[in-house]
Amino acid sequence: MTDRELVRVALADHQDVFAIRRFGRGIAELAGLREQDQIRVATALSEVGREAFAAGAGATVVFSLEERDLVIAVNHLAGADLAASEGVTLAGRLVDEITVDIGAGRIRMSKRLPFNSVPPSLDELRAEIARLTPSNMLDEVRQHNRELAATLEQVLQLNTELQETNRGVMAMYNQLSAELEETNRGVVALYAELDEKSTRLREASETRKRFWTTVSHELRTPLNSVIGLVRLLVGPGGEPLAEEQAHQVRLIGSSAETLLALVDELLDMAKAESGRLEPHPSVIDVVALAERLRMALEPSGEASDVTLSVRVADSVREMFVDEVMLTRVLRNLLSNALKFTEHGTVTLVADLDAVTNEVIFTVSDTGIGIPAEYHERVFEEFFQVPGPIQVSAKGTGLGLPYARRVAEALGGALELASEHGAGTTLTLRVPRQMEPPEIQRVLIADDDADFRALAGRMLVGYAAHVDEASDGAEALALMSANLPDVVLVDLLMPRLDGSALLQHMAEDERLRRIPVITVTSGPPQGSESRHALSKQGLRRDHLLAAVHAALGRSRG
Amino acid sequence: MDRVPILKLGDILIVTIQIDLEDQSVLALQEDLADTVVATGARGLIIDITAVEIVDSFIGRMLSTIASVARMLDAQTVVVGMRPAVAITLVELGLSLGGVRTALNLEKGVALLDHVWDRARR
Repeated sequence: MTDRELVRVALADHQDVFAIRRFGRGIAELAGLREQDQIRVATALSEVGREAFAAGAGATVVFSLEERDLVIAVNHLAGADLAASEGVTLAGRLVDEITVDIGAGRIRMSKRLPFNSVPPSLDELRAEIARLTPSNMLDEVRQHNRELAATLEQVLQLNTELQETNRGVMAMYNQLSAELEETNRGVVALYAELDEKSTRLREASETRKRFWTTVSHELRTPLNSVIGLVRLLVGPGGEPLAEEQAHQVRLIGSSAETLLALVDELLDMAKAESGRLEPHPSVIDVVALAERLRMALEPSGEASDVTLSVRVADSVREMFVDEVMLTRVLRNLLSNALKFTEHGTVTLVADLDAVTNEVIFTVSDTGIGIPAEYHERVFEEFFQVPGPIQVSAKGTGLGLPYARRVAEALGGALELASEHGAGTTLTLRVPRQMEPPEIQRVLIADDDADFRALAGRMLVGYAAHVDEASDGAEALALMSANLPDVVLVDLLMPRLDGSALLQHMAEDERLRRIPVITVTSGPPQGSESRHALSKQGLRRDHLLAAVHAALGRSRG
Repeated sequence: MDRVPILKLGDILIVTIQIDLEDQSVLALQEDLADTVVATGARGLIIDITAVEIVDSFIGRMLSTIASVARMLDAQTVVVGMRPAVAITLVELGLSLGGVRTALNLEKGVALLDHVWDRARR
């Protein structure tokens, strides 16, 4: 029968009964049935369709054209006995023939086409039917439904997967946090250990200082007695000694003096360590000082192959500094240079660095030099570069560390440049003016440590204290602790940047009045609102002028 | 599901069915009509089925039921505008729409109701 089949429609739900009866009417019309018969077919289809639907799900309706009959087969759930049902009975009154096959679950209805009509060809009919297919919309809706159901399923699946992933992530998170906690415990323990170690180190350092002070003090008294007694022995008025005896006593004396010098050095070091080096500046004659040093230290005896020369630039003939301390440092550097120079020259040059307004003392020699790996270590206490000269020369290894400490106490710095075998150059920078500071406190907020150091040096002697902060948050904490007179702010900083820092300051009642100088890395730019300073080619007088202007403006 | 509008004209409720009646719509219409009859106190009910092409046994029975319910509520029901094909089919099905008055069109339906009321008054 299939080759005569026109179309097959599913009867899936109640709505389909109505769709199919309309469809059936359309097919009847296309097949050439008169209007009355179309209504009959549709009504019969409606009756049978209801029964088939009521019998169970999954019914289909097959339309076919056989000979001169329009045949409609309704396939329903097998086994349902519809033969005696009202629907079938009623439908039987409307169609020409109706048969019920209970076993196959099929109701077959046929309606004869009018005799005078010419039945259309099957292909034509199929094409026509395809155009009116009623179930199009329904099918579409059903299709949509199916798609939606599929999508829902996918979403549910996705959801399940997500939940799984979530569980995985949670597990990972828990594991990680457990690990972190463990690490944290380790770090805390380590920290406690470090803390303890640092405390012990501090205690050791304290003990060492106390030891130095005590020992050197206790040593000096008997040494002075020895020296005094030697002087009495060899001095006029004493019992005349034999030549040999006098020579030996003088040797005792000179040894004692050397020992005393060493002890003094030791004591100075201890003092410097405990920060008790207070400079007492006055106006000094640098030329005279240099000359005195030359006289005192110039190698005596014709055997010496070393010459000592000093040169002081006109611009630094006078400076305001602690003369004793400066002399000590220079003497230290010069005697060191002479000690380790067997041939050639030792030079002391004093000159002015106009940019930072510092006096630069350069002590250079043509001696044995210091290998690069020891450049830092020579500033450690009691460290001596191993070598034959060091063995023969007397020394405690305290000279350079001490010189550096004193230089720092003077507000300066001591740097070393040397090449093994080609001499050593030590550069001492001392601020030229050490007048009473004009302002109390300056805060430099910049992440550039070099700039902080440079500006800090430029401000020595001008400001009593210079605070340094490497970012905005630190700056805020520092200025809240100690209110500065002026703040130098770099606008580009990590964490809290300059603009945010200024914003915070503006919101604070106390910090609002502090004059601010902004520092930029770029070339100078005119800024109306704020005092601005460029890092490029910064000079001390520029910096001080800016500070002056900022202070004057805020006070005015 | 489409709902069928119910119009009120004096004592008469007019229902014009413009769609292919489905079971749900008929059931809904039955309830709506009963409610409206009670709410308005209408005494006549005209159901115009001019546009209806297929009346099967279920719809036929529902029309009878509507008429019976309306009569209980003191309203007379007239079905108007039945197509010849529908009428023939109903007869062939053996359904007589018992208790339901019919008229050819709306105008005649209204006249029929007037006539019924006149007779009742006499």
